[in-house]
Amino acid sequence: MIEARSISKFISVVNENGLAGGLTAVLNVSISIPDGKIVSIIGPSGCGKSTFLEILAGLQAPTEGEIRIDGKLVLEPLPSTRKEMEDYKRRYRFISPLANGVFTDHPKHDIAMIFQDYAVFPWMTAINNIVFALRLRVAGIKRRERPTHKEMLEKASYYLAKVGLSGSEYKYPSQLSGGMRQRLALARALSVEPKIILMDEPFAAVDALSREKLQDDLLRLWAETKENATPIIIILITHDVQEAVYLSDEVVVFSPSPGSIRNRIPVDIERPRARTDPAIIEIQERIFAMLQYDINQENEYSI
Amino acid sequence: MDQYETRGIRRFLLEIGGFLKNSLGNFFSLEFLSVLIPLLLLWEFLPRLGVIPESLLPRLSTVAATFIDMLLHKSLLLHILYSMGRFFTAFAIAVGLAVPIGLVMGWNTKIRAFILPLWQLLSPIPPPAWVPMTIIVFGIGSNMHIFLMFIGIFYPVLFNTYQGIKDTDPRYLASARVFGASEFTLLRKVYFWHAFGSIIMSLKTGVSMGLVMLVIGEAYGGRMGIGYLLGQAKDYFLIPDMMVCMAIIGFIGWFLIEVLKYIEIKLALWKVGR
Ligand SMILES: Nc1ncnc2c1ncn2[C@@H]1O[C@H](COP(=O)(O)OP(=O)(O)OP(=O)(O)O)[C@@H](O)[C@H]1O
Ligand SMILES: [Mg+2]
Repeated sequence: MIEARSISKFISVVNENGLAGGLTAVLNVSISIPDGKIVSIIGPSGCGKSTFLEILAGLQAPTEGEIRIDGKLVLEPLPSTRKEMEDYKRRYRFISPLANGVFTDHPKHDIAMIFQDYAVFPWMTAINNIVFALRLRVAGIKRRERPTHKEMLEKASYYLAKVGLSGSEYKYPSQLSGGMRQRLALARALSVEPKIILMDEPFAAVDALSREKLQDDLLRLWAETKENATPIIIILITHDVQEAVYLSDEVVVFSPSPGSIRNRIPVDIERPRARTDPAIIEIQERIFAMLQYDINQENEYSI
Repeated sequence: MDQYETRGIRRFLLEIGGFLKNSLGNFFSLEFLSVLIPLLLLWEFLPRLGVIPESLLPRLSTVAATFIDMLLHKSLLLHILYSMGRFFTAFAIAVGLAVPIGLVMGWNTKIRAFILPLWQLLSPIPPPAWVPMTIIVFGIGSNMHIFLMFIGIFYPVLFNTYQGIKDTDPRYLASARVFGASEFTLLRKVYFWHAFGSIIMSLKTGVSMGLVMLVIGEAYGGRMGIGYLLGQAKDYFLIPDMMVCMAIIGFIGWFLIEVLKYIEIKLALWKVGR
């Protein structure tokens, strides 16, 4: 269960006069996502979707509001009064509030994330990128019960094969194509078998056919966890309306900057779905119309 | 895959072969030989034909003969060993301190605020300006030489490491943090590798600065070392001896930088493009 309560994020920027200015990246977003749901976020470019996702993951502190995952606070909001500020500074004097710990590897929440620019490590081979993530996840387990290096390699190969990267295990990211790098990031996120997967345009750089296959793979993985005590949550940012409707239980439409929730469209269609189901097409049309309207409105403003 | 499987002496020889190919390869290219050989010939024949007085530019063959003579009769090897012993001590101490301090300073803004200004104040002092103080404090001897070289090596390594760490792409940090990396893991697995290129770069600068300080320091006293030989050659106006010393110092610098380059190629395989 993820709960976001009136999240806002202001970013200070330098404006064209060289003076300090402000920018509202996310404005008052509240949403609660129960376990086992797939939610898509869709909205025009630059409206604050990635920022919102990073706040969810605890990689940026919100200026206002709070995120709770299963009731546990993700990051405390930034201080707003002078006194809070001093207190905050004292507490985080030597270590950033984002840090997991100084010496012990331990994720704060069971999240995996795929970044818009993949963020796979260029200095590790494909397989080592995955083993790196796996190793961090097992750091909390007692040494004797930890999987061996060989088992982790096997698991990494398994997930690489799953995204169609077998044969590229020992390549470095610079030797992979953009789409392959994206699939590597996907394999890395899936391999840790997290409870929550946050994806920032995970399939943007692959061809249409591979994309459909990856979508179905993702749905299959998700369905496998459906029987578990805590089925996984997937939050996915996409620009592809068809993808959003086909995959999700709910499509959240963000308004143009500052990003806030414009509409939430539930997709109550039984799985497995057919891409050409008239009900799906109808929802797609509605979202298209909505986005179209936003874009046209914005043009009128700017003229 | 094969070359990763070989072990022991065979692996060692393979590495040596790879190193020689990488470092000497440049010299034995047809392009460079066509420049080098004429230069060497000029060096031999200009003094021989009297175009340049031999007292200013001794022939190549004279210099070569002097080299052999110094090896046999002036214990040249011992002097080289002495200098190198001090150099590596200073290098190890300087790198051993500068890299960790640079890492910590690049990683944490608070620690940076405490200590960075100190280095910024001290580093503009040119290393040779430390010579008088050092002689008084350490006296003439190995400690003084080591300290002077340390001063030369420390700052470039410190600042380059710091800069490399500080410029680490926050995307990589974020992606490691989501998986649960602790700060220490981030330092070892993310920051360090991101800064790897600039650290190696800084070691190369460190080598050249260290050699500068080696010559300066040894010129100020001591009874051993390649800089001392150079000073002696100056006092007795022995131009061939000077040239031998210069060539040896040049060779050492070249060799160490080639070793660093080789290490970089070996460890930074990911940078060897597609
Ligand atoms: N570190 C930053 N400094 C200044 N401005 C920022 C920063 N990060 C984001 N922004 C601004 O915040 C807004 C939202 O950015 P964000 O990356 O969240 O957009 P997005 O919805 O993900 O867009 P896209 O669909 O193109 O990926 C943009 O206007 C961007 O310029
Ligand atoms: Mg984005």
